[in-house]
Amino acid sequence: MTQSVTPDLSARVGSVLLKNPVMSASGTFGYGLEFMPFYDISRLGAVIVKGLSLLPTPGNAPGRIVETPAGMLNAIGLQNIGVERFVNEVAPRLDDAGAVYVANIYGRTIEEYEAVARRLSDLPALAAIELNASCPNVKEGGIAFGSNPEGLSGLTRRVRAATGKPLWVKLSPNVSDIGEIARAAEDAGADAVTLINTIVGMAVDPRTRRPMLSNVTGGLSGPAVKPVALRMVWEACKAVKIPVVGIGGIQNAGDALEFLLVGAAAVQVGTANFRNPNACVEIVDGIRDFFVREKIFRLDDYRGTLLLR
Amino acid sequence: MPHGSPRFVHGKILHNTGSGIFYRMEVAIPERIDFVPGQFAMVSGWPGNDPLLPRPLAIFRSGGVRGKGAVEFVYKVVGRGTALLSGLHAGDPLALTLPLGHGFEFPGEDRSWWLVGGGVGFSSVFPAAAALDGQRADFEIFLGARTREQLPPGEWIPGGAVPGRVHLCTDDGTAGFFGTVAAALRDRIDRRKSSGPARVSILACGPHEMLKAIAELALPLDIRVQVSLESSMACGFGVCWGCVTAIRDGETSGYRRVCREGPVFDAREVVW
Repeated sequence: MTQSVTPDLSARVGSVLLKNPVMSASGTFGYGLEFMPFYDISRLGAVIVKGLSLLPTPGNAPGRIVETPAGMLNAIGLQNIGVERFVNEVAPRLDDAGAVYVANIYGRTIEEYEAVARRLSDLPALAAIELNASCPNVKEGGIAFGSNPEGLSGLTRRVRAATGKPLWVKLSPNVSDIGEIARAAEDAGADAVTLINTIVGMAVDPRTRRPMLSNVTGGLSGPAVKPVALRMVWEACKAVKIPVVGIGGIQNAGDALEFLLVGAAAVQVGTANFRNPNACVEIVDGIRDFFVREKIFRLDDYRGTLLLR
Repeated sequence: MPHGSPRFVHGKILHNTGSGIFYRMEVAIPERIDFVPGQFAMVSGWPGNDPLLPRPLAIFRSGGVRGKGAVEFVYKVVGRGTALLSGLHAGDPLALTLPLGHGFEFPGEDRSWWLVGGGVGFSSVFPAAAALDGQRADFEIFLGARTREQLPPGEWIPGGAVPGRVHLCTDDGTAGFFGTVAAALRDRIDRRKSSGPARVSILACGPHEMLKAIAELALPLDIRVQVSLESSMACGFGVCWGCVTAIRDGETSGYRRVCREGPVFDAREVVW
């Protein structure tokens, strides 16, 4: 009889210790509370909540999502309850649930980003702040800061100075050199980079001659983006010394393992949550099963061990 | 114990058979569920990633024996997802998240009910009819379709054998009233005026234009109207924010989720 040892799945993103490398991706997990009927959200490495702005944001007009081959386009426009309601109404319930949580933040101006980061810094249990410098679906802010190294660097420096919380910077894939962008975030004081956000895409109806989304363009996510995301995560891992969190099309444990293999410190699961509300915990279980089968005792023994040639 | 909070479950198809343009599918699930008429499930069963997202289907019936559950759906093939669903057979696995959304409300002071289904919209109002039938409540059913073949079979209508209860309407006049359900409702309202002031409440599900016409007709007459809206949705349980519709909130309006605050809304609150 063989004795099976439970593998150590703990992961570290800078100073943030996670019980496992699986997190929910911002914008696909609400404020976390919506998943409590399905499972105990403290089982996740961390919950990344929907992007928060200084004031409540109404979001884009309907016609916000469209399905595409093995993926979907969205242009939600960051509809959210605003940072104040999050701090007062949601955060205490995440505390009660025992969840490790990270707040994704967004501003139309650098000053708004700073104000949101300062307000969130009052939350003792908040594990980190994830800077959304890459939303493709809003006119101001977001990608305007994240699409070139200078813009990203300026924003990151200012928010870095505004909060003592670990600062993760979420990167856009809609750039020519992801390594250069990741280095700009690192040099400006980011504790980690998370990537990729969605890839800008478009869908039109040939008969009505109208775009499928009210915003005309939207962000592509789902299995269709995974090879692009994997390549970019691999490049970012080579470009920076800070941890890289891999995101993009992860549907199952096998997909998550691929990102860990190319060097990601942890992963975020997004669109898969829409298809299967239990996706994140099934991926945690699947990684554990894989490690048991492969006799891998610690995540650290596997992470970044891609064999080239 | 039946449960009413949403779960993600794996089920097995018991039968999935076409009847005219509609399919009726029953699925065995691990536990019996309680649902409110108008609530729905997110359903997927095809292998692979394309199409990616599950499809919302109104819960038509829930039952079960000895701790096991069964849930039934009626659907029409409208796109790739429902086409794939229609190709599944007894014994095939299905993934379901259910029950979801805010269903119809049945305020005690309403004494008579008019249930309106346009196209496949009957699949969300028949459960309401079944509930009212069980309470021996006073209700009538209005069913609208383009043509006779697109009406549901008569034996599917809960309490449908009661004379005068069911009003069929077709756009081409091949069955029942020659015209829209909104026109048939207008006639019914005119007849009601002469027969007393009983409080009436309308529950409706169907094409947006039909729901809008009913709201414009009934709301000025102080008839309560609840409408079940349709929208493209990715998740069905309130996290993608893709399915929103504009809903009045005092003097202003805001985007509410069809999957969570809906699919059933008070017609007065919908920004038509």
